[in-house]
Amino acid sequence: MLVKSICRSILRPRLGLKLSPLRGLHTSKNWEASDSALSPALLTRARLLAAEHTKLAERLGESFDAKTAKRAGELAPVANILKEWVNANDSIVELNSLLTDPNTDAELRSLATEDLESSRDALPSISDRLKKALIPRHPFADLPCLLEIRPGAGGDEAGLFAFEMLRMYVAFCSRRGLRPTILKQDTEVGPSEDRLSEAVIEIQANGAYDILRTESGVHRVQRVPATETKGRTHTSAVSVMVLPSFPEDTSEMDNALNFEDPSSDYYIDPQEVRVEKMRAGGAGGQHVNKTESAIRLTHIPTNTVVSMQDERSQQANRRKAWQVLRAKLAEARQEAREQELMQLRRGILGGVAKMGRGDKIRTYNFGQSRCTDHRTGITIHNLDGILDGGDGLETVMDSVRTWMADSEVEAMVAEDMANAKSK
Amino acid sequence: MICIYIYISLSLLASTGGISWHQRSSTTTRIPMMPRIPFSVIIKAQRENHLLPILLKECRTIDSARNELRWLRERAVRDSQSLSSKTGWRSRLRSMCQMRSRGYPLQYILGDQPFGHLEILCRRGVLIPRPETESYTYQAAKLVRQMARGCNDKSESPNQARPLRVIDLCTGTGCISLLLHALLAPHFQKLEIVAVDISPTALGLAQENLKHNLQMGQLASSAGTDIHFHCADVLRYGCNNSVPSIESILQIQLPNFGASDTSPPVQESGCDLLISNPPYISQTEFRNGTTARSVRRFEPKLALVPPHSGSGVEDCMPEDIFYHRILTLAFKLRAKLTVLECGDSHQASRVVALHNRLASTESGQFSAEVWPSRERDLAENGFHATDGSRCVIIQALQ
Ligand SMILES: C[S@@+](CC[C@H](N)C(=O)[O-])C[C@H]1O[C@@H](n2cnc3c(N)ncnc32)[C@H](O)[C@@H]1O
Repeated sequence: MLVKSICRSILRPRLGLKLSPLRGLHTSKNWEASDSALSPALLTRARLLAAEHTKLAERLGESFDAKTAKRAGELAPVANILKEWVNANDSIVELNSLLTDPNTDAELRSLATEDLESSRDALPSISDRLKKALIPRHPFADLPCLLEIRPGAGGDEAGLFAFEMLRMYVAFCSRRGLRPTILKQDTEVGPSEDRLSEAVIEIQANGAYDILRTESGVHRVQRVPATETKGRTHTSAVSVMVLPSFPEDTSEMDNALNFEDPSSDYYIDPQEVRVEKMRAGGAGGQHVNKTESAIRLTHIPTNTVVSMQDERSQQANRRKAWQVLRAKLAEARQEAREQELMQLRRGILGGVAKMGRGDKIRTYNFGQSRCTDHRTGITIHNLDGILDGGDGLETVMDSVRTWMADSEVEAMVAEDMANAKSK
Repeated sequence: MICIYIYISLSLLASTGGISWHQRSSTTTRIPMMPRIPFSVIIKAQRENHLLPILLKECRTIDSARNELRWLRERAVRDSQSLSSKTGWRSRLRSMCQMRSRGYPLQYILGDQPFGHLEILCRRGVLIPRPETESYTYQAAKLVRQMARGCNDKSESPNQARPLRVIDLCTGTGCISLLLHALLAPHFQKLEIVAVDISPTALGLAQENLKHNLQMGQLASSAGTDIHFHCADVLRYGCNNSVPSIESILQIQLPNFGASDTSPPVQESGCDLLISNPPYISQTEFRNGTTARSVRRFEPKLALVPPHSGSGVEDCMPEDIFYHRILTLAFKLRAKLTVLECGDSHQASRVVALHNRLASTESGQFSAEVWPSRERDLAENGFHATDGSRCVIIQALQ
């Protein structure tokens, strides 16, 4: 308790300096919650996890086992940062007692004062890191992903901009070495051949889901279309959905994520999926030579339909259709779970809403050559650079990542506090 | 310009004309004229891309035309980059589309056709592999594995005494043999595939396909020694100096294959899987519009229509003579599993009947069925409820 009050008193004034301008955009509620002090609830959480880590490490010392090693690896950061945090606090207590001791000589006193200052300086960033480490990892964080782009309201303009976004993400991913491939690209082939009606990019790098999940939501474009004669700015929307991509070979997968394991949350019962190939009437076999190879999958309980016809190979279309179907169902299930959690939190936090996939998250304004993310308020004035998938986009995504982490911490603190109160 | 497309009446196709996901049975009468493409569709295509109406002529649906346009464009762009040809990709694409609108098969233009995960090279003079054949090949591989599991129990390892033996008659591009190797090699240590065709052009291409897929890493390196292509005439009995008979080839390949009918019957089965997609189109169906114009004009008749049988030995319809011959061979080889592609369910039923007739004089029990016939098998494999190709699957019962 003593330790905590010391921290509070010294940390509060520094808060403004430590915060990035981005975080300055937060509501006062956010401000409170991003307080660098650790709530007792969070501290308890950290201690429990660190204790688990110690136990696992002991067990690993006796015999190795991949699963234990994985969990231990996940917990290691919490354990390490907690150790740092405890050390810093211990030294503060020690230095304080040194300073309050009348027997301490002057030279030592001035040294202790210096040390105390640096220890206190270090504390906020340690606390901050600890909080971030406490955020439960997103279940899909380590997975590759699919990124689906669909034009929304706004007709032709939306289709055109959807195509530009497709290029933007492909460029961004290539630049970052994330190995993007276009899985599906349905175009309303116009005179310019670039009006998208739907596209899916597969991003094969592990962890791509975590990198790109900042992009889910509605993106808005404001510009004067080429066809507009009166020079009016039009607003249209494109929706982006980031979905987890499961490896086909499930043997090396985490049980929880194994869609072939009936006990997994992401299990898909093949009996519930209707597989259809294009069926043509009339003669078949040697009599005709058709080139269609479309496949359609329907998940009957949820009526989720995925059709794929881009490839000449039926095998390839089938594989891709399954991949997209799995991704969609997994994301929907995860979303449902998050929604449930949100309901719980909303009760606690009093209506702090997470931005869902239906919300407008970003605006690309061509007239002002700017891109604004509505979650963080960040604005970048180099629109071309962003549309080329350049550093500007990276900066925006980074800001959203910080925002997401902060909201998580905030929710975590609130939840723990509420739990503590109810006990 | 547009009017031309409205009134094009192409060779046949279904009476229902359309292609759909779910189509219950349709009438069985065939109208040898293509329904007209609706005017609105042509207008829409024209607005989208000036090349689409050209493709629509052969593709019939806008979705299909769009896909083909994309595939052709990709190829045109790739070719113009790699071949550093003087003509740009646009003019290349245009001429490709024009060829296509004359009914020239897409696969001959692009030079290949996917078959399972394999890439099968296609060239004028050799039949293009069909999607139904792909389904039959998968089904055959599945049954072979089931049979092997059935007689191996759990005690025995897949370490067999003799290789798993497959015979593919009328191999064409070699597509069936190659895909079977890809599907079976992971489960059988020893594998031997004998593939036969009468056409040197086909055999040359089959050999190329073996090499091509080995190079692409789609086949295990053992495929190079496991698969043997031979020139032989499936229909001819006995020896002849021009083209060897199928028997003479099998005698070389299979040590205990009965040399003559008088030799004692071999006790051991000479073959685990006998598979064939022989020519099966009747002279009538070749001409009356059942066979698509593009197929009739550009694919080899040798691969499609069985020759008039002069001998008259076979008591079957002329378009069924290959089945008569192959079923006889199946008995001789004591084939455990026989898979024969047929043109439609009627022909398949005739083949089952023919088999039963021939089997009555043989020792041994068999099951013979038409596949696919169950609702789920039909849907999953993209077969129409009543129309289109079927295969006959014969299993020797132990
Ligand atoms: C319908 S194609 C099948 C090709 C390939 N198996 C496929 O499924 O795509 C029939 C093949 O049988 C060959 N063929 C025709 N008459 C034959 C005969 N008497 N003996 C052996 N092969 C013959 C043709 O050259 C042709 O390649």
